[in-house]
Amino acid sequence: MNNQNSKTAKGEPGQSYYRSVAGLTLLFDNEDYLWEPADWTEDVARVLAQECGIPELTEKHWRVIRFMREFYFANGRAPLNRQLKQGTGMTLMEIEALFPGGIKQDARRIAGLPNPKACL
Amino acid sequence: MGVKKIKLTVNGKTHQVVADEDLTLLDLLRDELHLTGAKQSCDKKGQCGACTVIMNGRAVRSCLMKVSKLDGADVITVEGLGTPENPHLIQEAFVLAGAIQCGFCTPGMIMATKALLDKNNNPDTEEIKKALRGNLCRCTGYAKIIDAVKLAGRFLRGEITPDDVRPNPDGPKVGVSHPRPTAMEKACGTARYTADYLVPGALELAVVHSPHEHAIIKKIDFSEAEKMPGVVGFMTAKDIKGTNRLVLNTNDRPLLCEDKVRSYGDPVAIVAARTRKEAREAAKAVKVEYEVLPALHSPEEAMAEGAIQIHPDRPNLCFTHPQIKGDAQKALAEAAAVVEAHFKTQINHQAPLEPEASVAYLEEDEDGDVQLVVVGRSINIHKHLSALQDALGYENIRYEEAVSGGQFGMKVEITSEGIAGAAALHFKQPVRYIPSLEESMWITPKRHPYDMKVKLAADSEGKITAYDIDFTVDNGAYHSNGDTIINRSLRMLSGSYNIPNVNAFARLVYTNNPWGSSARGAGPPQTNFALECAVNMLAEKMGIDPLEFRLKNSLQPGQSKSTGTVVTEWPFPVVCESLKPHYERAKREAAKYKEGTIVRGVGIAAGSFGIGSPGDKAIVSIELDPDDGVTVYAAVADPGEGNESMLTQLAAEVLNLPLKKVRLVTRDTDRTTATGPAAGSRMTYMCGGALVEAAKQLKAAMEECGATCYDDLVKAGKPTRYTGTKVTLQSGPLDKQTGQGSAYESEVHCLQMAEVEVNKETGEVTILKMTTAVDSGPVINRLNYEGQLEGGADMGAGFALREQYIAKETKDWVTFKFPTIKTAFPMEAIITETPRERGTLYGSTGVGEMTMVPTAPAIISAIYDAIGVWICDLPATPEKIKAALQNKA
Repeated sequence: MNNQNSKTAKGEPGQSYYRSVAGLTLLFDNEDYLWEPADWTEDVARVLAQECGIPELTEKHWRVIRFMREFYFANGRAPLNRQLKQGTGMTLMEIEALFPGGIKQDARRIAGLPNPKACL
Repeated sequence: MGVKKIKLTVNGKTHQVVADEDLTLLDLLRDELHLTGAKQSCDKKGQCGACTVIMNGRAVRSCLMKVSKLDGADVITVEGLGTPENPHLIQEAFVLAGAIQCGFCTPGMIMATKALLDKNNNPDTEEIKKALRGNLCRCTGYAKIIDAVKLAGRFLRGEITPDDVRPNPDGPKVGVSHPRPTAMEKACGTARYTADYLVPGALELAVVHSPHEHAIIKKIDFSEAEKMPGVVGFMTAKDIKGTNRLVLNTNDRPLLCEDKVRSYGDPVAIVAARTRKEAREAAKAVKVEYEVLPALHSPEEAMAEGAIQIHPDRPNLCFTHPQIKGDAQKALAEAAAVVEAHFKTQINHQAPLEPEASVAYLEEDEDGDVQLVVVGRSINIHKHLSALQDALGYENIRYEEAVSGGQFGMKVEITSEGIAGAAALHFKQPVRYIPSLEESMWITPKRHPYDMKVKLAADSEGKITAYDIDFTVDNGAYHSNGDTIINRSLRMLSGSYNIPNVNAFARLVYTNNPWGSSARGAGPPQTNFALECAVNMLAEKMGIDPLEFRLKNSLQPGQSKSTGTVVTEWPFPVVCESLKPHYERAKREAAKYKEGTIVRGVGIAAGSFGIGSPGDKAIVSIELDPDDGVTVYAAVADPGEGNESMLTQLAAEVLNLPLKKVRLVTRDTDRTTATGPAAGSRMTYMCGGALVEAAKQLKAAMEECGATCYDDLVKAGKPTRYTGTKVTLQSGPLDKQTGQGSAYESEVHCLQMAEVEVNKETGEVTILKMTTAVDSGPVINRLNYEGQLEGGADMGAGFALREQYIAKETKDWVTFKFPTIKTAFPMEAIITETPRERGTLYGSTGVGEMTMVPTAPAIISAIYDAIGVWICDLPATPEKIKAALQNKA
């Protein structure tokens, strides 16, 4: 389920919005996913992680985040869970335990992967 | 119930059937003989002709034929006519004439054609219209279907052969009407639509829907229903593990209603049974106790003080947005001429011929984990997948798109997929949810109705100086993408024109009406109706010809749209000039028919429709295969527009490959890139652009190492797969206070002309001809392109004159007033091809929605030209026209 409490103010329904993260002004969608994955930096990831209730990103977190980004840029979409398992060598439970809001809500957000676009 | 044993022949094979008195020939063909070429659309009312087969030499609607009375019958279905490998000449003709878009009507059309041509192999247009009068098509406007019947006649008479008209597959790839990749499968009835998926052991689902527009659910009682034969189980909202919200932009729409229903037909419970009939019977026996609440039927009622709040956590007035450019009030006060008018548009159904349908089942994925597979009618990005994951509380989901029988914007939303997915998880068995047409209408979104008050002003030189519009959009019961619809209206508000001063205010309001979402054009068809009628009113007031008025006021490079965005290209004057001789001809001809009961009129309307929205992004991958062909990976839905042609022809052009060497993987979320929705006329511009980028990367990699084939590339150690991305240059929302900011980065321009005949006694309007001058850049496939123009104009004519969705009253295609071949009209396209700066490959954009944007104002203006009254409240029914004439008198 959504980890709503850890997030900052969001855009209105369907509306993207800008906010400052790690010294950068970045565009987010109304569900708080980064609009453009190329805008992501490791510092951005650290701030987004804190917003998700993860005070410090460990090596295991980074393994998940880096795989997600590599997969996204190679395949044009976020990895499925089984691809995540294969790519990180971790079990789903291990990955879920790393991200309190879950893979979809937290890991993907921290990795800077965009939400699939809705209607334009 | 009595049963009867009969024998009949189907496609040359004799079958013995023990039939009960309810079994129809359509059921026998589809469910028992697994001949799914004949389609079901109209709830077996004989309204659509999609199920047409030939029986004893006559075209019949198989949904009306009781098998028990068919002893000795000789039946031919579309499968019996030909196969993709060995097609019949009629099937070849439909493919080569460009008569197949979504293809759902095609088997029925072809069988009706066969019956006609068997008796008369040289029919004229009227004879074709008579023979096909019971067959409906939403995509084509019937023009290319009539062409196909005539072409088939020429084939059958031996005048020409298919090879004489088939484009050379080894010739040029772009700018040529190569047949669509899946057209022959559709013509032969082998293309699989969702309801054609037969999963062994699947439960059939039915849904209990709300009979009220607004009510509290007090109690759901399954005690009678559970005694019904074949019933397996029931589901309510509490059985859904996830959020139970199907989110596009806002999380207000439940998959199954929890405590409250907010619109007529809202889903309340699911019934699973062994057969569809048993499920439906049991659903009728479910007793739901409601406490009926006041229903709000208009934004005025919903915004009134003390009105009941439809959603507890959000006000009925749920979204507003201004747009302010310059000083419209000052310009209005100083203008030489001002017109003022009030326009309204109706709730409308997108009306794809294929009803909703979904199939879902659990399977083991590659790792042995349980994966939910949902088969539906539109892959629509991976957003469907994401929304389903949240709603169902289950992440391991694969979405598979079947061949889609049209959608016209409706399938940016998930509806039946949620029901099927939830039931497959709950019952842990495969399920099929094949709702009736009426149910499909209840559970799918509609075109938003707009209420628009406008003022348009010009100076003494005839230059438009100001536009003031206040508009209210009825959201219906659920938000969906209502704010996006308003944003689209605002971003295209000034249409084709330079309007230095704009003052707009938009509001979105919840009511208990059917909920709105995307519908071909999605916002601009409504606001453009108001603008274009007002432009014609102002031109008349100033004594200027409306075409000259448009040329005088066309936006020019260096000037800005209503968003304040300065444009660098604007070939709208090109289309105006191209229409001029046709317009002069039409005016001369209409001038002869200005007296008497039946009079004629000519009207024009323009549109400049945005392509490439701010923040849009498409990703497409291409892979070189061991046979030196390529596979394109992208979630590019093609519910009939021709996107498969676009991808195939572009890839073949860039890589200089034969068309048959380009393969598409577009229908499976496990294998495709996230490309964004088949909406917003964006596929050629965005996904085509991303594909060209990917193909160029592959080509460059091969050139770099001197590779001429797969083996060379692999030996050189280069990747075989490349991913291209297209991103629009602007992003971000409009400014909340001024509505200024990002805009679409290109436009398709259009000027359309309607020639109509109006009977002043009956109020009946006959469209004599629609002529469309259009420029969206270079055309990739002319027949597909014309097909969009013709189908869009037909849809626009329905929007202008007939169609309206009225909850409870609109139940089927007759009550919807679906366009028929009888109401079809001649069409002409005048196509100019000005390349766009950021267009795909040689500068192409898109045309799928533009085609209906100017149609309604063109027709309404033609009616005014004929009878001197403006019908500002769509649809312009005969009753409204008669009333307006009486008021005028």
